[in-house]
Amino acid sequence: MLSVKDLSVTYESKSVLENFSFESKGHLSILGANGSGKSTLAKALCALIGFKGEIGLNGKNILDLDLLERAKMIAYIPASLENFDPYVSLKEFVLMGRYLYKKPYLNYAQEDYKKVDEVLNRLGIFELSDHLLSALSSGQKQLCLIASALVQESEIIIFDEPTANLDPTHSVEISKIIRSLQNEHQTVLITHDLNFAKSIQGEVLFIKADGYRYYNNPDDFFTIENLEACYKTSFELRSLGMRYD
Amino acid sequence: MIKILLILSLGALLLISPFIGTLSISPSEIFDSTTLSYKIFFEIRLPRTLLAFFAGITLALSGLLFQNIFRNILMTPYTLGISSGAVLGAGIAIKLGIVSMSFGLAIVSGFGFIGALLTVILLLWLSRYLARQAHTSLLLLGIALSFFYTSVLMLLFYVSDAHETQMIIRFTMGSLSTIGYLSVVIVSVSALLLFALSYAKRYELQLLSVNEESAQLKGVDTKKLIPLLLLTSSLSVGALVSITGPIGFVGLVVPHIVRIIYKQSVHKLIIPTAIFGGLFMVFMDVLARSIVEGVDIPISIVTAFIGGPFFIYLILSKRN
Repeated sequence: MLSVKDLSVTYESKSVLENFSFESKGHLSILGANGSGKSTLAKALCALIGFKGEIGLNGKNILDLDLLERAKMIAYIPASLENFDPYVSLKEFVLMGRYLYKKPYLNYAQEDYKKVDEVLNRLGIFELSDHLLSALSSGQKQLCLIASALVQESEIIIFDEPTANLDPTHSVEISKIIRSLQNEHQTVLITHDLNFAKSIQGEVLFIKADGYRYYNNPDDFFTIENLEACYKTSFELRSLGMRYD
Repeated sequence: MIKILLILSLGALLLISPFIGTLSISPSEIFDSTTLSYKIFFEIRLPRTLLAFFAGITLALSGLLFQNIFRNILMTPYTLGISSGAVLGAGIAIKLGIVSMSFGLAIVSGFGFIGALLTVILLLWLSRYLARQAHTSLLLLGIALSFFYTSVLMLLFYVSDAHETQMIIRFTMGSLSTIGYLSVVIVSVSALLLFALSYAKRYELQLLSVNEESAQLKGVDTKKLIPLLLLTSSLSVGALVSITGPIGFVGLVVPHIVRIIYKQSVHKLIIPTAIFGGLFMVFMDVLARSIVEGVDIPISIVTAFIGGPFFIYLILSKRN
């Protein structure tokens, strides 16, 4: 359960988000134009950046939680993977997601390795365990990021444009994986892909230049009239070929 | 295999090093406390070798930490101007004529330490005004600070007499020569503290090498950890530089070489970096004492003279 009350974010003395209030019990899609503040909102939801207002995760104010408790509650998956350390293997990278379960000063436990193997198997990248991150393709990197969030076993997972850098085949693969996670995790999905968002079947938050619109029922968002009003461009209802269901 | 050979051969050097110098010492004489060899071995050569070893640990580890925290291989206490701060502090003390007072050299070191400390505080303070994660700007700030310090140092040269100028120049060239164990104790304690902290936080460092946000999201309190790591490594470098003068290139080159040899993630590089840093420095010191017979070449000349071309070779060879 994610609840946001009067959330405002200013960045370099410019107001990016103003007085956002919404709730999500299931799966939230965040849509909006480039630069409208989608990623800023995502970062605020993890308390990575300063904000005014209140963010509640399962009834607890996020600022009352320490960083380990936050990590247990919410995981964030960025659009792309970057890493300075050139010799980190996929497995070592995913293992970092277990940091909150690690005892201070000690190595990761057997159980952490087990969890990592389990998740890598589930995502079908177990064979890549020992590959260095630099040797992975964009699709594999995205899977690696998802794996690192899954081993964290957080209740809420935020996906920040997970298919932005992927070709259609991998987009569909990733979106299927994300939908398969919906039974175990509450999700927040930031995307430009309307078909993908529609397949999620959850609440929709559309960010505009001058505010936002919140739709409790996705069917209210995905009508031609509404989409045209939101995006100020004409829409046509037909199958685009790529199917997400 | 190469790793073991390298460590063994450099380790052998650690044992041989105290015997190398203008006056040759035979191992049989060092146990007889009445001989000159005994005095030279235990009061000059052994402390010098130990000082070199712990100096290498400090420089290499702080280089590794800075590179990882800022995710930029050019970030070291040296390139950020912390060493220059220490030099300026010591230079000012020399100009004030403190050397001729009792405990003069210790006070000069104290000034050097304060110079390093003020630089770290200045950098941490200035970095709060930089845009988030603008590490390139921090590097530029460090470089600008170094230039500023150098110009103040030039001014000091200009208003100093020949003797003072000579002393300041000597200090800027770096020297590992020491008598007795006081400086060894100071440098070894700070080196071991730095090592203990780096090792205790090895997994946090691994998370920081992804980026600061990601480390926070996985549960690392970076707002406390980063200043702790930076302050500890800067202070141990400050303590070192105030005793030996600035020694360049070790902090930049050693972590890089270790990474290339070991091909491991940072959490597995702490121990090798410390060992190689220490042994590398002993090796450099042996060269400094033995390249020209009877002459003790200042250590920073040797490290830069060998480290510079070697680093260029590494960068070029990595591209192929």
